[in-house]
Amino acid sequence: MSIRLQEVRKSFGPKPVLKGFTLEVRDGETLAIVGPSGSGKSVLLKHVAGLLRPDAGSVLVDTYSVPDLGRKELIQLRRRIGYVFQFAALFDSMTVAENVGMGLRRMPGWDAQRIAARVAECLALVDLNGLGDRYPAQLSGGQRKRAGLARAIAPSPKFLLYDEPTTGLDPVTTTVIDRLILRMSDELGVTGLVVTHDMTSAYRVADRITLLHDGRARFTGTPAEVRAAGDEVLRGFVEGDPDLYFGSGRD
Amino acid sequence: MDRRREVLVGLVVVLGIVAGVFGSIWLKGGWQRGQTELRTAATSVGVLVPGAVVKFRGVTVGRVESIEVLPSGEAVMVEMKVLPELVIPENAAVLLAPESVFGEWQAEILDRSEFGLPPFLDYPEEGVLPGAALPDFSRLTATADQIARNLTVISERFEVAFNEETAQNLKNMIDNMGVLSEGLAEIIAQQTERFEQLAEGVDASAQELGAAARAARISFEHFDSLLLGAEAETMVADAGASLRNLREVTEVAGSSLGDLRAAAQKADSIFARMDGLLTMLETPDGSFSRLLGDPALADGAVGTLAEFRALLADIQENPRRYLSFSIF
Amino acid sequence: MAELLLRPFAAIGNLTLSGLESLGRAWRLFSSAAVSIRSTDVWTPLLLPQMAKVGVASVPIALFIATFTGIVMALQASYSLTGAIPPYFVGTLVGKTMILELGPVLTGLVLAGRVGANISAELGTMRVTEQVDALETLAYDPLAYLVVPRVLAGILMFPAVVLLAISIGIAAGWFTALQLLEMSSAEFVKGLRIYFAPWDVWFAVIKSLSFGAVVTGAGCYCGLRTEGGAEGVGRSTTRAVVTACMIILCLDAFWAAVLL
Repeated sequence: MSIRLQEVRKSFGPKPVLKGFTLEVRDGETLAIVGPSGSGKSVLLKHVAGLLRPDAGSVLVDTYSVPDLGRKELIQLRRRIGYVFQFAALFDSMTVAENVGMGLRRMPGWDAQRIAARVAECLALVDLNGLGDRYPAQLSGGQRKRAGLARAIAPSPKFLLYDEPTTGLDPVTTTVIDRLILRMSDELGVTGLVVTHDMTSAYRVADRITLLHDGRARFTGTPAEVRAAGDEVLRGFVEGDPDLYFGSGRD
Repeated sequence: MDRRREVLVGLVVVLGIVAGVFGSIWLKGGWQRGQTELRTAATSVGVLVPGAVVKFRGVTVGRVESIEVLPSGEAVMVEMKVLPELVIPENAAVLLAPESVFGEWQAEILDRSEFGLPPFLDYPEEGVLPGAALPDFSRLTATADQIARNLTVISERFEVAFNEETAQNLKNMIDNMGVLSEGLAEIIAQQTERFEQLAEGVDASAQELGAAARAARISFEHFDSLLLGAEAETMVADAGASLRNLREVTEVAGSSLGDLRAAAQKADSIFARMDGLLTMLETPDGSFSRLLGDPALADGAVGTLAEFRALLADIQENPRRYLSFSIF
Repeated sequence: MAELLLRPFAAIGNLTLSGLESLGRAWRLFSSAAVSIRSTDVWTPLLLPQMAKVGVASVPIALFIATFTGIVMALQASYSLTGAIPPYFVGTLVGKTMILELGPVLTGLVLAGRVGANISAELGTMRVTEQVDALETLAYDPLAYLVVPRVLAGILMFPAVVLLAISIGIAAGWFTALQLLEMSSAEFVKGLRIYFAPWDVWFAVIKSLSFGAVVTGAGCYCGLRTEGGAEGVGRSTTRAVVTACMIILCLDAFWAAVLL
């Protein structure tokens, strides 16, 4: 039940984004990948969900080698992965309830009644009771994120991938989301991979933190280890000091 | 909402199909109410195609269903579907001909006695109407051309066969030619009337053409008397001159007649050929002393002339059958 | 100097390669979409709404265009046909051109603007807001969910819309002939019928089928390839319309050469 990336490389055109990224997310833990915007964090996440194919290296989720999966196996795997998108990516043309039920409708043995029950359950879990009939455009940013989370957890995934779950939210809503992430891992035993550039949030939710720098995993450790680390790039990022971060990066 | 959408989609699809199917049927000439089958056999069907209209007394009564060459190869069987209540005359025949000057072919059921000319094919089978296809204008001119060629051959023989009988035949022939050219002028004049919108001066040209034909006729009469006086050479020269005159007129007519020009050119080519034959008669080294008697050939020429004249008469009667100007 | 001489060749080469690349990508997309037709459970519930959107909603504009085309055709035909040409040829000209050419092609071009742009903008927005990715993570095949119902709806609905447009166009031409050209109904109908062949209607249907596939297909292709936010959506929408129009005109010539 783990996620393992080995020497993953990916370029878009002439521009390399991942230059041999290696990472392991252990079963049941929540790992946060931090790094500045544009460092390739989302790209990394898309590799795990099989939305992107690496140029080289291997991506293992559970026992599946994601890049080698056929269409059917990929669908099998994706039922076990929940993906929380940065801007929620809710389907505009559907109500919140329909959005949350989307992933369930394709699962064998789920009739309308069962789906409705599960949707209500998930909406309650993210504190959106009674908003099922709204359309995404009628929700606030935080509500949308939570709806996106509800949609991701509806099919009871074993893995949850969060793409910038707290970006653009006020501190209170950020805390609400962070608590939800913790709840997912504590109550549902989900293995989580959180991509964020918000260190506060990372400290709060993550069992371990990895710094993605220059296409590679620069540092991995528990929040305590991160705080104590002497790595200049890491300190530069954590403290928000560009001189430190870029200075050493240029070497 | 979903219900409404279903209804709307269904409506558009059904309306589309209805427009396509019923529009096609309607454009094709409406529903064929319970029909009777009618068959006709002809040696040729011209440019008739399946789906062409069948007319009776000018009214569309059905359509051509199929056209097949009989296995024996001796005739073409045309099957038509016509209205069931149609009572066909006792001695009905089917004429396959263009409907209009624009050349849409049709099958016309008619009383044979009213329309005697084309050689209807009597097919020995019960219920098969005799049929015939009219030649179109190009075939007609080809025939005329053929006749002219024959005349040329005769004229060649003329040089080697000249006696009283052939002279008499020749006189008749030239007489006929006078009638013929006059007739042609008349047709063109008639056509002119039909196409009132054509350029001005057409009437005048046609009248000139007629005058020229009359002049030719007078020349031929002169020729007649000359022939009796045995002044053959002068006579032939006169005939040649008047024919040339006639050709000039047709040329003038051709330039001013617009669409009629094609027809005029056809006529012109006939005249040119006749002119050629007369020129040949004229040639000084074609000495009459070398003529041999061959009246059979001259008779043949008279026969072909008669054929031509019959066709001409028919052209006069039904000019639209022949004069199909190719605008498209 | 040598560089200057080589530049045009490089440009041509670049253009050829990028053209071939697009062709290859389109081929990949549509061959995968063809495979996705098997996932009937995904697209069948979506077909009806798409048919309504592509077809029903396009009827008013298609009929509007057809009406004016019919009127203009009748007036211009009577203006052009003078002299010895009988007036009933106005009917022939209106009927033939509406059925063979203007009905399918004008409708196709107008719907390229309406339907193609709509699809491209919708899918483009879904692409840049990661909704397409979201579909995939929810175990949906985006081709079966997004492309198949739209293209099928186009193929199914275009012929119906075009046939309606043709009928209305001819009717408008007829009306014009009666009211403005002092023709009789009988004359106009004679002209309509004299050169009519049922095959003409099939030709129109085949053409509009292919135009339906092209318009929706171009919309889907350009929409799914959208990159770069709102501006990207605008770009791909323009591209979808231009591509669809160009392919429609090429196909028009192709069908005329092959089928007539």
